Amino acid sequence: MPDPLFLQLKQLIVDTLKLEDTPAADIPDDEPLIGGGLNLDSIDALELVVRLEKEYGIKITNSEEARAALASVARLAAFIRDRAPKDKLPA
Amino acid sequence: MSRSSPHAVRIEACGCRTALGPAEATCAALCAGDRALQFRPVLGPDGGDRVPLAPLPGRSLAETAPPDWLPAVDALATEIPPGPWGTARHPVFVTSSNFGVGNLYAFQRTRQPAHLAHATPFAVVEFLRQRLGWGANVTVLSHACVSAHIGLLLASRVLAAGLADLALVFTFDFISPFVAGGFHALKILNAEMPSPYSARAAGSIGLGDGAAFAVLSRGPGGFRLSHQQVHNEMHHFTANQADGAGFRTCLAPLAEAAAGGRLWIKGHGTGTLEAGRLEAETLARLFPAAPLVSWKGSLGHTLGSCGLVELAIALAAIKSGRTPGSVGSTAPYFADTIAAESFANGGFDGVLLTSNAFGGAHAACLLRHD
Repeated sequence: MPDPLFLQLKQLIVDTLKLEDTPAADIPDDEPLIGGGLNLDSIDALELVVRLEKEYGIKITNSEEARAALASVARLAAFIRDRAPKDKLPA
Repeated sequence: MSRSSPHAVRIEACGCRTALGPAEATCAALCAGDRALQFRPVLGPDGGDRVPLAPLPGRSLAETAPPDWLPAVDALATEIPPGPWGTARHPVFVTSSNFGVGNLYAFQRTRQPAHLAHATPFAVVEFLRQRLGWGANVTVLSHACVSAHIGLLLASRVLAAGLADLALVFTFDFISPFVAGGFHALKILNAEMPSPYSARAAGSIGLGDGAAFAVLSRGPGGFRLSHQQVHNEMHHFTANQADGAGFRTCLAPLAEAAAGGRLWIKGHGTGTLEAGRLEAETLARLFPAAPLVSWKGSLGHTLGSCGLVELAIALAAIKSGRTPGSVGSTAPYFADTIAAESFANGGFDGVLLTSNAFGGAHAACLLRHD
């Protein structure tokens, strides 16, 4: 069964960046988000970070941490599980 | 070194204001290892995370109308040699990265019309023009953090074309909550002091206030900008080409022009990691014998004004015989040319000054002296 946080993050990426031609389910779990097949760049990363901080009540402290967190959906999910309050995570 | 380019200009006068004072005082404080940056709330009176900021003494980052940086500009203006500035043969070139965007933000929040006189590039320059008694021959330029270099280059070209007798380049950038908040949102203005050119786990810039001027002529001798170079990668909104090609394209002609000379380098060095690495590695490759310093670990990044602010400090350094080191930077470094400590500069015959900006914009100039 798919990880519900993975699904939630993929949908958040699609919604935040208005990836109208990309179904959330098509975003791979382990491929790079920035500079990968989605063709996202640093401005997209900024938008994502702002949304993630708001959505999950987390704090990303510098660009290096942001880059590491956005390495893939799987890495992002691990980062959020590590930082976010439990009530912000899907059941 | 090769002979000067056709656009070479003499610096008749030059001065600046930073958080550490005028150019000479700033140079002396940097040589003493003073760090102007202090941790302050990123949004000024509205609080927020504490980040490294270096406003002018007495400034609070509150958005006042008129702006609270005006006394510093007035004091700096007293150093500009008297002349018919802003007339046909004495053009003025004003550059900034942010102009009065803090007041624009303040107007959006407060709806106080008094902010509008300082809120846009042309409004704030017109305000300064009238205040400083300049005529209408004022050109306004902006290209992010290479803005001051663009002003110097355009002024030099106007002089080279015989269209002016003297040219005044004036630049300013003052921190506001809007600007600091923007860099904070980008995650490059963080809760750590900048350490330019240091190979560490996470980078951060600091931000500082800066204003400066230079009066240029085509006269011989003295302090001269012998060569100037600009290049824009047109690669991305914010990022540099990952292989450093943009840095090389800008700097290689200057390496050729400087061949045979003994240089020290005042680099851009903001404290970000990727750009700092590309810059330091490229400079070390092209100028392997030249010690490299950045002063932004103390003064913070003064944004569009930094090229001219740091030129004024470099001139003060030459006159004092001592070049400030990279205050705040600690080993390990991205290159073995980084000078952490101040050094005597009597044996050098030139200075390379570089600045870089968002979007892969690069600028550099060679300062030579008799």
